[in-house]
Amino acid sequence: MRRDPISPAGRRTVITGMGVVAPNGIGTDAFWKATREGVGVLDRVTREGCADLPLRVAGEVRGFDPAALVEERFLVQTDRFSHFAMAAAELALEDAGLSAEGADSPYAIGVVTAAGSGGGEFGQRELQQLWGRGPRFVGPYQSIAWFYAASTGQISIRGGFKGPSGVVAGDEAGGLDAMAHAARSIRGGADAMVVGAAEAPLAPYSIVCQLGYPELSRIEEPHRAYLPFTGEAAGFVPAEGGAMFVVEEAETAGRRGARSRALVAGHAATFTGSKDWAASREGLARAIQGALAEAGCAPEDVDAVFADALAVPAADRAEALALADALGKHAARVPVTAPKTGIGRAYCAASTLDVAGAVLAMEHSTLPPTPHVTEADYGLDLVTGHARPAELRTVLVLSRGLLGSNSALVLRQDEPGAR
Amino acid sequence: MDTQLTYAELASMMERRAGVSVEPLQLELRSAERFTEFGLDSLGLLGIVGALENEYGASIPADADACKTPAELLTVVNDVLKARA
Repeated sequence: MRRDPISPAGRRTVITGMGVVAPNGIGTDAFWKATREGVGVLDRVTREGCADLPLRVAGEVRGFDPAALVEERFLVQTDRFSHFAMAAAELALEDAGLSAEGADSPYAIGVVTAAGSGGGEFGQRELQQLWGRGPRFVGPYQSIAWFYAASTGQISIRGGFKGPSGVVAGDEAGGLDAMAHAARSIRGGADAMVVGAAEAPLAPYSIVCQLGYPELSRIEEPHRAYLPFTGEAAGFVPAEGGAMFVVEEAETAGRRGARSRALVAGHAATFTGSKDWAASREGLARAIQGALAEAGCAPEDVDAVFADALAVPAADRAEALALADALGKHAARVPVTAPKTGIGRAYCAASTLDVAGAVLAMEHSTLPPTPHVTEADYGLDLVTGHARPAELRTVLVLSRGLLGSNSALVLRQDEPGAR
Repeated sequence: MDTQLTYAELASMMERRAGVSVEPLQLELRSAERFTEFGLDSLGLLGIVGALENEYGASIPADADACKTPAELLTVVNDVLKARA
């Protein structure tokens, strides 16, 4: 576990821009309205070529027109996961009012994304050309479009951002790890980072890859398919989409008049291996403790938790116990929510969508509910039914990956002069 | 199919293969400018050369994707097509 603080004296990382492309809304306004209302949009899988696969329910992004936000030449050479990422990044940059041209130096702005599966749809199309018509019919953009790092590269090229850039291939928890990576880059001297994750796992080849996960829900009724922390928990529902952010060094952001939406205050990650959800209890508890220590927060400071909420009984139990281990008595009092039950889990992007939800929740002093879930087990105060008014200064976001990564991120309302 | 590559067809391929939109007349008028000026990168040009080979059933010299301008590319491709005719 890392010991050095994420925001040491002088260089704090604040979120100044957010862009969301989610199954329940494109843009933060639409996303927040649906999230606050607890609208569930899980539905039949309708993506091309997927109808006959045994995955029936997912969170699809419908009505998405990437050309409204991104130039055609970037769309032709990239997969849908990069379309989501470029569109969300464009929205985040607009929100932050940031561009390479307007910055002191393009070398002061970097890009980092997390990706769990890369460009499955694009890759499948080109591989079908390979086997159906021959190697001469495979387009050269296949060499970059399928790759995990494609979104980072295209956002960097499109925006002219030449600062420290990278990709986190870190399991689903990689979304939170990317936020921490961006904060480390800020601490290391970058003025701003474009950071986040987007995924497009609803394509035939990609779905077939997921069918091997025992945690995947096979329930066919959308409202019953993803019910974490309940006796009906039968696995998770996958989703597509994502969220991107602009994070900046707080003083630099302040000098250019940017609005600070939240402070990225602390993060920690652990690894406890796959196929053993009971072990994630200790791993997740350690991640929470590490993130709180880095943020300089006591357990009682946590005003709400955005849970990982896998909806596998052993994993749900481990998450509830991890909260009890890390927060003590406060675990029984702190409100917990899992808005992702309304939209599904977009792998690496599930946690970045939770980060967007958490920032919006703090801004609106409102905790969004956990759609479809009416009552929670494990002694959790789960927000169900309707959104709940709440003064939120510190929010904890949790994420676990199917392959054993556990991460915790602490977001705080930014108070100028703090730390 | 035409036995010679025209600016109209090259413009259409740039749009379909690389998402670069340019009017055929503009492409012809600016045929001595570099492909990068039109927003076409090296992978995009590689894809266009591959697609031309598939369409014409002809082998285009390996250095065709090193052409810097539309005029150069048309010359290289049409020399191949002429020699074959």
